[in-house]
Amino acid sequence: MTLPITDDSDDFVRVFQTESSRSDKPAIETDDERLLRETFREDPRLGCSLLFRRYYLTLCNHAARFVHSRETAEDIVSDLFESFWEQGLFEQPIHSYRSYLYTAVRHRAYNYLRWKIRPTDPLESIRSAPVAHTIAPDDAMQYTELYLKVESIIQELSPQCRRAYLLKRVEGKKYEEIAEELQVTTKAVEGLVGRALARLRTGLKESWFLATMYFLIP
Amino acid sequence: MDQLINRQVLFDSFEGKATSLQRKLIEQWLEDADNRNYYYRCLDEWERSRPQLWIDQQRAQQQYDAFLTGETKRKTRALTDPETEVQTGARIRKVIIGSLAAALALLVLGFVFRAQFLYKTYESSNAHLTSILLSDSTEVTLNSNSILRVPRFGFGRNVRQVWLDGEAEFKVTHTRDNLRFEVLMGDGYRIEVLGTEFNAFSRARGKRVFLTKGKVKLNLPEGKPVYLAPGNYFTTEHKGSFKVVMPAEPLAITAWKERTFYFEDTRLTEVVEQISERFAVRIRIMDSGLGDRTIGGIYQARDADALLETLSAMFEMEIIRTSDEIELRIPQKQDL
Repeated sequence: MTLPITDDSDDFVRVFQTESSRSDKPAIETDDERLLRETFREDPRLGCSLLFRRYYLTLCNHAARFVHSRETAEDIVSDLFESFWEQGLFEQPIHSYRSYLYTAVRHRAYNYLRWKIRPTDPLESIRSAPVAHTIAPDDAMQYTELYLKVESIIQELSPQCRRAYLLKRVEGKKYEEIAEELQVTTKAVEGLVGRALARLRTGLKESWFLATMYFLIP
Repeated sequence: MDQLINRQVLFDSFEGKATSLQRKLIEQWLEDADNRNYYYRCLDEWERSRPQLWIDQQRAQQQYDAFLTGETKRKTRALTDPETEVQTGARIRKVIIGSLAAALALLVLGFVFRAQFLYKTYESSNAHLTSILLSDSTEVTLNSNSILRVPRFGFGRNVRQVWLDGEAEFKVTHTRDNLRFEVLMGDGYRIEVLGTEFNAFSRARGKRVFLTKGKVKLNLPEGKPVYLAPGNYFTTEHKGSFKVVMPAEPLAITAWKERTFYFEDTRLTEVVEQISERFAVRIRIMDSGLGDRTIGGIYQARDADALLETLSAMFEMEIIRTSDEIELRIPQKQDL
């Protein structure tokens, strides 16, 4: 009776190991950004341009998970790239450009959300780059939980409310246009969007304790 | 432990599908710098395969390249809150604030200039008398250098009110509905009548009321009101005290109406005050002995200079004009 169990567990371990070795983790990681690094050494301007070409879309995609707006996401990412060039950050020994950019975008998106929820915070904090280029280990997970929370709040909205909110924020449509699309009055659309924002605000504030705990401790 | 974390587990965590145990494992695993880089590599891969926005990358790239070559400056972005609904809200708010500000400005202007709007002001300049017929047929003769303010749109239903700064003679009509007529003289002095004739005086020197006909109730800043009978002359003295007398010669009080000065054993200091009040000139008595000299008589005068010329002969005094005042002094005897 015991034998099959050991067999099973052995099997499990074996399966897992093959799965692990199947992943391309060690092979690519070493020279994934080598080309970029070399370009930065020779022509930083071209390096920045290439970096932008490579990560702009995915970074915007990621930022939008927090801010739910194409425009804001693009602003956050563009501003990050501009400061990256302006402040000559590429000259610093960056372990991985990708890690740096994602960390910075998450940080900026977080600041934007924090500002939205507590508008009394100075606006300047939105732009500020992360204090450390490498992020504390548990932070990465906190950011993930933050955008997941944002998403779940939106998912819990009534279909009409969610639709109005997404048309407004993500597609940046005018109230009149949304009203036409949803076949309701402009006033009703304003109410729907307002309700969505309020829900977002209260929902994030509730879980803010969790978020602030990790982010605000210097 | 490292081998427990693979691409699929990370993807699950990005999607919120990771169990709490997995999340705990990932947190520990992330303590290693290489693992973190792998984490973001997976995140990038995950994002790449799950597009959720249509983004004009080409345009963005062109803008960034233009920035890199220095063709364009770094943009100041409205990161504050790019939500259009907030912007519209802000615009509406701006309009509302603008209108409120305009309304407020109008209110303030109205408040500041409410006197000009609601009241008509009559003013007698130097050496001029002004006769005014009010809407209730009350006659007012305004002495020179005096101001009378009356409601522009007629008296109300409760009271007929006017404001006086200076000196005026009132011939108040008695209305059928016994409407009170009030003269506000400032500093809390208020004359209250139904229909009478009186002379009211309100200047820096004090408040005075002389009643020729009828009955006057005079409200004081403090204490009981004073009732005046015809011939009574009310004058304030220092610090709120007052006296009511029956002047032997009431002409002295109303002489201004005939453009005359009525003096009877009057000290030069008092003469000078009367002149300066009526002609708005500043006269200074330079020698102390001079002010105590007295004078009597009726003097016709259209201006201060003419009167002073007349007086100088009687008082044996010298008149010296400076740029802004007239000095009176005892002439220096020239010893030969």
